[in-house]
Amino acid sequence: MCYSIQFLRNIRMWLLAMTVAIGMLPNAIAATPTELKSEASPHPVLLNAVMCEDVQNQVIINAGVVFPIAIGKISCHSAFDLIPAKIPIYHNWYYRDELSTKIKLLLIPPRWSTVSTIQLREADKGPWRVEITGEDGQVFKTLRFSITD
Amino acid sequence: MDAIFYFLKSIRWQDVIDVTLNSYILFRFYALFRKTNVFKILIGIAALWIFQQIAVSVGLIVTSWVVQAITTVAALIIIVVFRNEIRSVLQTRNLKAILWGFSQKSADAPAQIIAESAFDLAKKRIGALIVIPGKEDINEAIQNGIPLHGDISREMISSIFWPNNPVHDGAMLIEGNQITEVGAILPLSYRQDLPSYYGTRHRAAAGIAEMTDALVIVVSEERGTILAIKGSRIQRVLKVEELAAVLQEHTGTRDKEKKSSRRDRIETGAAALVSLMVITGIWLIVARGFDTLVTLEIPIEYMNRNPEVEILDASVSSVRIQLGGSGALIRSIRSDQVRVRIDLGRSVIGSNTFTITNENISLPPGVFIKSFQPSSVDVFLDTPTVKNIPVQVDWTGKLPENMRIEQVTVEPEKITVVGGSQILKTIETVYTEKIPLDSLTSSRSLTVNLALRPASLKVGPGFRDKVVVNCVIQEKVFEGKPR
Repeated sequence: MCYSIQFLRNIRMWLLAMTVAIGMLPNAIAATPTELKSEASPHPVLLNAVMCEDVQNQVIINAGVVFPIAIGKISCHSAFDLIPAKIPIYHNWYYRDELSTKIKLLLIPPRWSTVSTIQLREADKGPWRVEITGEDGQVFKTLRFSITD
Repeated sequence: MDAIFYFLKSIRWQDVIDVTLNSYILFRFYALFRKTNVFKILIGIAALWIFQQIAVSVGLIVTSWVVQAITTVAALIIIVVFRNEIRSVLQTRNLKAILWGFSQKSADAPAQIIAESAFDLAKKRIGALIVIPGKEDINEAIQNGIPLHGDISREMISSIFWPNNPVHDGAMLIEGNQITEVGAILPLSYRQDLPSYYGTRHRAAAGIAEMTDALVIVVSEERGTILAIKGSRIQRVLKVEELAAVLQEHTGTRDKEKKSSRRDRIETGAAALVSLMVITGIWLIVARGFDTLVTLEIPIEYMNRNPEVEILDASVSSVRIQLGGSGALIRSIRSDQVRVRIDLGRSVIGSNTFTITNENISLPPGVFIKSFQPSSVDVFLDTPTVKNIPVQVDWTGKLPENMRIEQVTVEPEKITVVGGSQILKTIETVYTEKIPLDSLTSSRSLTVNLALRPASLKVGPGFRDKVVVNCVIQEKVFEGKPR
């Protein structure tokens, strides 16, 4: 039973990731100088990362850490600056420490925003986290949230 | 045939020792107390006990109760009434005699006393002349004998032949167990073939021997030799036993003693056999009969654990064992006498499955395993380690529709957890206990417990198993405006 739920969940998430994780918002980020770690960093710098109900027209809708299952989907928005070249990043979605899906997103210099979204089902209630990592496994940020009734 | 084979196979060495030891104890009781009143009473008590057992087995409640009471009282009576007899039996024997010796029939029979006395006198070079009549009357042949009619004893014989005793030169007559006459004068022999060194005492001895069928013992004052003379035969005697045998031969007690000795041996053998049978019977009834079952829950003990490794989890903590055996043994069994041990000597880090067999279960003697569950146990072993792990809130319930939790901080953000390395390797988050959302309407701080799973995980030193959760609650935005 658990395996079948997991299988369905993976398929669903991959489909959604392919369709939704194209929300690239090249000019939507207003970088704050204090948020930049290093001007000369060979890695991109994460400016902002939030969980939200949706991203519409480059606007984050209802960012938070607890989301009701009724909203149907949930998104992870991440914005980068100082991107040295076209490089991939990953949104790794974990349900209770178990990798649920790993979504690859492309960053384009010099600034780029990415969004990955998953569809929610009844079995998805509980604590989640999304690790935003680079290609080399460097963790930019871990976002923790819950799906509830 | 199979049943007999199975029965013989089921006999343990402890059973053999049990039966042998108790049979010997019973036999020793017989050997020590036979021919005493105590023994007769003991037989009576044993009979009562058997009667009581029969009464119990056929359901005669009152009878068995009465007989039991009588048996108990009789046991007390035997100790009180026969205490002196018991004491005399135990006090007059040393430990070796109590454990091994047999009460001999009087070793001081007349023949033995006479023989020993003769050799005592010979050793002291005191002359003596002792006449033991045969079937013929010798009163016609002897003269001037002084009647004594005293019991035979070594002291008496020595004193009669003591050189200063007025009657020491005469002959002593012994009939049965008594010294009948002393100082008697015997007729001298006129034989020419007697050695020249024979004096009057020897010639007198030879004289009475020639005239009658009496046996005469002569102790030489000069040479310290002892002669036994009967008829014309003169025999030099060198040992006490030899003289005693000659005397017994003469009096006809040798055959009687042989018969008596044989009867004693048969009686002793029979007593040993009866003791063995009685104890075997009791053993069969008590230790083997009336199988009873009992079920015990025995915790599993793990042996030979590597000290660097800890048991983090086990599929079961105890084994349910059904034991069989006699009612008496089963009733007396204690749970600490039954042990289930599993050897972790060959275990590895991670999951190990051990099959539980009869060899893992140790039992007290006389009890056997009917069944047990489970037949295997899974044990998870790991080396203890520590890890800093982020804490995440586990929300549950439903927020009001127009509210959202914008931000949550946890103090501390991370905690140190102690546990098995294999387990901690898979754990990236420590969750709080579930926090209900329904009552949250505004930003606040909450203190909540951590939900450490599996239970083998512990909070590290310096940390509590509670964290403070600060949550910021805002109104939701609908179409760009808060509702």
